Order: sequence, then C-alpha cells, then structure tokens
Amino acid sequence: MMKHECIWLADVQQRVFRELVEAFSRPGEVRDLTPWLDGATAQRAVLATLMDGETTLADPHARLGAADWPLLQARIGTAEDARYVVADGRRAPGFEPALGTLESPESGATLLIEVAAVGSGPLALELAGPGIDGPGIDGRRELRLDGLHPDWLLRRADWTAGFPLGVDILFTDATRIVALPRTTRAAPMGNPPT
Amino acid sequence: MNAMPHTTGGNAYNFGFLDEYAKKEIRRAVLKAIAIPGYQVPYASREMPMGRGFGTGGLQLTLALIGPGEVVKVIDQGSDDSVNAVNLRRFIEMTCPGVSTTTRTAEASLIQSRHRIPERPLTPTQILVLQVPYPDPLVVVEPSEDKRKIMHGEADYSRLLVKLYEDIVQFDEITISHRYPTRINGHYVIDPSPIPRWDVPRLDHAAALTLFGAGREKKIYAVPPHTRAEPLAFSDVPFRVEDFRDEAGRRRACARCGCTDSFLDEFSSDAGEKVYQCSDTDWCDEKLLRKESLRGEAA
Repeated sequence: MMKHECIWLADVQQRVFRELVEAFSRPGEVRDLTPWLDGATAQRAVLATLMDGETTLADPHARLGAADWPLLQARIGTAEDARYVVADGRRAPGFEPALGTLESPESGATLLIEVAAVGSGPLALELAGPGIDGPGIDGRRELRLDGLHPDWLLRRADWTAGFPLGVDILFTDATRIVALPRTTRAAPMGNPPT
Repeated sequence: MNAMPHTTGGNAYNFGFLDEYAKKEIRRAVLKAIAIPGYQVPYASREMPMGRGFGTGGLQLTLALIGPGEVVKVIDQGSDDSVNAVNLRRFIEMTCPGVSTTTRTAEASLIQSRHRIPERPLTPTQILVLQVPYPDPLVVVEPSEDKRKIMHGEADYSRLLVKLYEDIVQFDEITISHRYPTRINGHYVIDPSPIPRWDVPRLDHAAALTLFGAGREKKIYAVPPHTRAEPLAFSDVPFRVEDFRDEAGRRRACARCGCTDSFLDEFSSDAGEKVYQCSDTDWCDEKLLRKESLRGEAA
C-alpha cells in the first residue's frame, strides 16, 4: 500500500487548520507547525489543508513539484485571478493578485509566501501601532522576518489600501506560519541593518 | 482523495460527520471571515440530519473546527439542558469520538451557543460559535441581496439608521431587543445572532474569537479577538442594555443564586408572582456553589 505523508491525513489537517485560525485571528503571532509536519514544509501542510477541486491555485514562481498538483486537486489559476497564490518571498512580486470586489471581497487572494525565517531576522515590522489597535492585535505587535523582498510590503500597502478589497498574506518558513490579513497595518521599524 | 478520512472505533460516520471536502470549504470560508471582520462569507451549507433553523450553521462550523481532545459546551438560551442544546451535544458526541463535552464554561475549548454569550468572560484559548437564523441586518430595509451586498461593501448603513431613528420617534427608544445591529471594526454591520443587548458589549475587544454560522442563509462571519464591536446608536440616544431594576430602582437579583450583575430571565411562580433567575445556568450554578461553600465555612 502506498504510504501517505501525514499532511494528507484528516486529523493532521484539522490541527493545521486550527493553527491557521489562530494565526489569522492574531496577526503577527508566530505559530509553530512542527508537531504536525513529519518532515513536510509548513507551506505544503497549509496547501494540503486548504486545497481541493473547488478552488484555484497559482504558482508563478514554480515552487510546486509536478507530483503535488494531482494530490492538491486545485484548479490551476493565474497569479492575477487565483484564490490562492504560492510565492517565493525572496523574489519581487511580478504580478497583481485578485483584490476581490465590493460585493465579494472574499475573492481577494490569499498569498502563501515562503521566506527564510518567520519570527526572527533583520526586517522588523510594527503591526497596528500606538493608539491603534486592530483586529487580533491588542495595542501593538512586532513581527520579524528574514528573506522578504522589500517590494512585497510596498505592493501590499497598495493592495490593501481600499478595504474591504485586499489580499491576505500567510508567511511561512520551514516550520512556522504567521498571518497578515488585509486589516493589519504594518510599518517597518527603523532602518534594516545594512 | 487529498484528505484521508478517519473513522474510529467502528463508527460508521466520518469524524465530525461532514466529509473532508465539506470541511475544507467551510475552513476556507472561516479564514476569509476572520480576515474580513463582519463580512458575511457565502458557503455551500450542507444538509444536516436536523431541520434548518435548529443550529445547522453553528453545527457545521463546530464540526469543521473540532478535533480529538476538544472539550465542547453547547448552550441554548443560556442553558446546557434545553432540548436543542442536548440534541446538538449528543450529535457531536456520537460523530466525534474522543471529544469530551462539558457544561462548565471555564473548561470548554469550543462553545456553540444560541441566544447567549456566557457571562464568564471567554479566554484567548476558547472559540465561541454562535448559531444565526438571519445573518443580514439590512434585510429589514432592503429586500434585494445584490443591493445589500453593495451597501455592505460601501459601509452604507444610512437606511438602517433611519429605521432606528423611526423607532425613537415612535417609541422614544430603540426597540430592538435581540439581534442588535453592531458595527465591526468600523465597517461592516452584523446581526450578532439573537443574543440580548446585554451580551453585545461583550463582543467588543473580546479575548476570544467569535464565529457566526447561518445554515439556512449559507453565510459565515466572524468577530476576531481584540476587534471593535460598536452597537449602532446616536450621540444623543446612546445604546443601552436591558434594565433589571425594580419599581424602587434597585437591581433585581437572581432568585436562585442572588447574583445582581447577570442577565436575568423572568418566570411566573405558581403563585403568579414574577421571579427572576440567571439565564446562564453554569454561571448561576457556580455562584450558588460558592455561596453554599461560604455558608458551610461560616457554620
């Protein structure tokens, strides 16, 4: 019998989903998926949890293997129209993701961006800020990232400027996830070290 | 099949009754609902083995969230023992082997509720699922869903405010007792399910995530933790919760536990007198227990 990786098991997907719920509920809070991965990357575990034939996935940076597509079952979309877009955070975003419409803002894309490290690194973001709290953030929260091309944050600011339109981002590294939904204000803190 | 189902202990049903595809669709909707606070995300509500209007929307959320080791509490009108709560709890026990149930708010990791938010403040490790019969607060002023979706997108609630104003002109106060329209994070106005006005302030900057499921209307929406939830009101006619003072102006107490800061239900005694009692039975039991143990120590 063919051995399946554990990320395809229903109870593992339930645990990964609950971590996603926590991540999106509390932007900037880093969640560690190690107990559920069994060697898979966090991004693949998230894809296994969310994809099926009812949704569309784009892979503009060719990150997925040919063997992954039949398992994920997702319909192949373009980076401009897919509901989910897998991306390599080291590369500048060379596409304009779907931002949704006023009637259906949920059709704004979810970007699954892989970076070198989540929760540590030279890029420090201040989420929300003094006097501003936001959904999921009590006051302010700091998020550190490593290996994110600076264009992502500039473009995100444009993409999320017109709430309720926007994109929701999930950053991943090998084992950890952190979410930046469209409602979260994120500003770089100080200057990144040269 | 990209999600291998798991049935355990000879159970004929998939864990959580729903098939894995149904769960995935609900899960995607839940994450978008959290990302767009207050927005009603459409989803393909499934037929459940109970009538729509009996909490199928909340139940589908619960079943998409639930995992082995979960501790679930089900409330109906503040009570764990009413017919609807018992039925839903039994269904969850039957289809989710390994899940335990509780009546204690403090012990629950997942709370499905109809008509009440527990009196005890929820913690960040808890999730509250509310069953919703009518998700759209604009339905009273606009029959077309297409038009309502545009109004929501533009955060145009002027006609809803006119409706509240007409209430004030006619009755000197806003007469909505349940389902009080509440603005989430400064944009979308939600129907917070038929909870009393008493419970609405508890959504504001709550520590716990609240999810809303409308099975018949096929909508899921959310109030994330630490999110502004403001009941619609006017600067000169502020929002008010229920008033439990008696004719002499004293706050009525629960006839059972003596609590004077909980939401009270009104009963008629056999003698025909009005009796007031906590609507949240777990809260009431806890107060009563504490009172009795204090009395025991004093004796």
